[in-house]
Amino acid sequence: MADDINVEGASDTSHLYDGKTVRSSAPSRKKAAGRIKSSTEIPKDAIPEVHVPSWIESFFGGPIVSSMKFLPANKTVTNLQISSAMCLTLLTALTLLFTPVSGTAWFALANMLNIPILGGAIHILIMVIGSVGGAYGIFQRDQRALLVSYVAMILVTLRFAGSKVEFGFDVLPEAEVLQKILLIAYALFLVMYFELTNGIIRFSMLDTSIRTGEVYVMGEGKIIRQYYREIGITPVVAGIVALLTLLINLIIPAMVGLFDDVQANRLSESVELTSVYGVALGTAMVFTVIAAAFAVNLPLRIQQMQEGRADK
Amino acid sequence: MAWSRKSAMFAALAVAMYLLGLVLRNQQLVTVAVVLLSFLTYAAFRTTHADVASSGRRMNDTNSDAGVALQSIVAMRKLSQARVFEDGEIDVVLRIQNRSTLSKVLEVRDRVPEVMRIKKGANYVLMELGGRKETEISYTIESPLRGFYTVGPVCVRVQDAFGLFHNEREIQLYDDFLVFPKMEDIKDALIKSRVPKIFTGAVNIRNPGEGSNFYNLREYIPGDPMKKVNWKAWARSGKMMVNEYERDAVSDIILIIDSRAVSETGPVSRNSLVYSTRAAASLAQYFLSRRDSVGLVTYGDEIVSVDRDTGKKQLYVLLTKLAGAMAKGNTPLKVVTNRILPHINRGSPIILLSPLEDDPTVIDAVRDLRARNFDVTILSPSSLEFEFDARRLDRTGYEVLKTERDILIGELRGLGANVMDWEPDMMLVTALAGARGF
Repeated sequence: MADDINVEGASDTSHLYDGKTVRSSAPSRKKAAGRIKSSTEIPKDAIPEVHVPSWIESFFGGPIVSSMKFLPANKTVTNLQISSAMCLTLLTALTLLFTPVSGTAWFALANMLNIPILGGAIHILIMVIGSVGGAYGIFQRDQRALLVSYVAMILVTLRFAGSKVEFGFDVLPEAEVLQKILLIAYALFLVMYFELTNGIIRFSMLDTSIRTGEVYVMGEGKIIRQYYREIGITPVVAGIVALLTLLINLIIPAMVGLFDDVQANRLSESVELTSVYGVALGTAMVFTVIAAAFAVNLPLRIQQMQEGRADK
Repeated sequence: MAWSRKSAMFAALAVAMYLLGLVLRNQQLVTVAVVLLSFLTYAAFRTTHADVASSGRRMNDTNSDAGVALQSIVAMRKLSQARVFEDGEIDVVLRIQNRSTLSKVLEVRDRVPEVMRIKKGANYVLMELGGRKETEISYTIESPLRGFYTVGPVCVRVQDAFGLFHNEREIQLYDDFLVFPKMEDIKDALIKSRVPKIFTGAVNIRNPGEGSNFYNLREYIPGDPMKKVNWKAWARSGKMMVNEYERDAVSDIILIIDSRAVSETGPVSRNSLVYSTRAAASLAQYFLSRRDSVGLVTYGDEIVSVDRDTGKKQLYVLLTKLAGAMAKGNTPLKVVTNRILPHINRGSPIILLSPLEDDPTVIDAVRDLRARNFDVTILSPSSLEFEFDARRLDRTGYEVLKTERDILIGELRGLGANVMDWEPDMMLVTALAGARGF
């Protein structure tokens, strides 16, 4: 009988458990507890399949973030890519015009090291990173490359802080208004570049989500048309508001001039009004009006009025 | 109006540039900052208001503000059915009306319980809804787990074209539905009562009486109907003999479900409570189709019982209770048996569905039941197997705990209970047959 039992050791009890080899030492929960994995890992089937957007995805995508890689670009995305590339080209050209190396931190560093060419090289390098990274991000729809490009462009823009020199090339106009318009154009191209590249990612996400059935879109054409309309109108309006703000040193004397020419003349020659503080005053005035509009919930009232008119 | 991450960063950049420009007296920086601010401001101005109201049940959007007061977006929902079995499907139709005359671009998300799967269609729709128009969104959800669920609220979001700002409202429109545990078809549970009852049923028990199966022969007693006379036996024995039949009777079946917190050990879709509720539903259906009366007791943080009854209505009562069984508390089995024993007929079959874990009173409770001649069947879904399969238990721990469990089951068998260590891949019918010694 004993030969039939597969004896592996004195404590073997396989004959008692249908051939299973079970340790015969006294079962101890304490001992077992020490060996049981105390992992609090949630089993896979307990987690619903929810795609949590990463920081970058939520920056670009808004609420619609597809859970998979982008599918090939559709017509809207291709159009946005072309527009973004054009915008980037113009922005790069304007950046080159507006931002000479002088006055930058790297210019100061290069002078300190007595290698003047280094400053220029760094300056160009940042612009190249901005434009090449941007182009790569646009056509590859790479969000990280786009972010790098944004940072490079903002870094170059911050160069303005370093100098009173207005522009990088002498060919640009000397007139104050024209300079301001050019500066506004530069800023608008910067904003448009941000927005159009952002649009590429958003519409790629949306398109992928539609084609994978995550989201259903009704009236897609109208939604896209509305986007195009907004992207045409918003920069123009923003530019006009900015121009009004920046030309406050001309607007205030003109308004005062309606009543008193002498005072208007004094105001137009005022150092404060023509300086950056004049711009600050203009910003304060314009944005006070805007804040008041929001305070009285003007957008909603306009909407109510439009609805009321349409109901009649 | 809520800011997106993008708009917040734009605003931060603009403000930083503006302040830096002022500090450094640099007009160029201020110019760039002002353009950015103007862009943001105009986008905010253009953001349409998510003016929504709801129609339907539980309309309790009391936080009425100007947006809600407009009442231009209305949602209505219809479910194809309010009761479904596990793995069943429900068609949802959500109707969105734009009562305003202006067209709106809306993102609509109908909130579905997380465990549900969208099988067809989408519950997330981006739409351009014209003035005074309505649209229907339909989708199908699959319900993999039993329980009480709610679809809703409907989230409506209106964004500006650039995704900088959004307005969001929830339409407080809810629809409840119930997912019953899945049932397995049982041919024979091999369980019947040893005690006759007044009403005849489909199950014969080993007592003479009114029924259809032959039980015995006995001598004629005046008053016996002539149709019961066994003429052949009379001819053979010379005495007037009559046939006796086995009494058909209704059995009282008591199902006891362990819904203590420990019964949910294991993955969400594979744990003792899931198996127990499915088994109880299958058994209830089987016994009720046999015209038995079935009662149910679930115990966790409290003892919930459904009194014995028969019929289809009772099945739905039981299924509803099973759908709502939650793993909570740690009431010992002994407390349950003490509570219910005075109310159940002796000899009634009792089916206990429990992982038999973390309850030192199990043996006492079963001993009590057996001492009162109850036919006790225990189906014990093994949480050790669930844990081991989910790789949350190592081999040694599993073996040790398995040994303890085997000892406990051995003790319960020693008390005369029919016990089955129900492994996850075993069908209910097999487990039942195993418990009854087949």
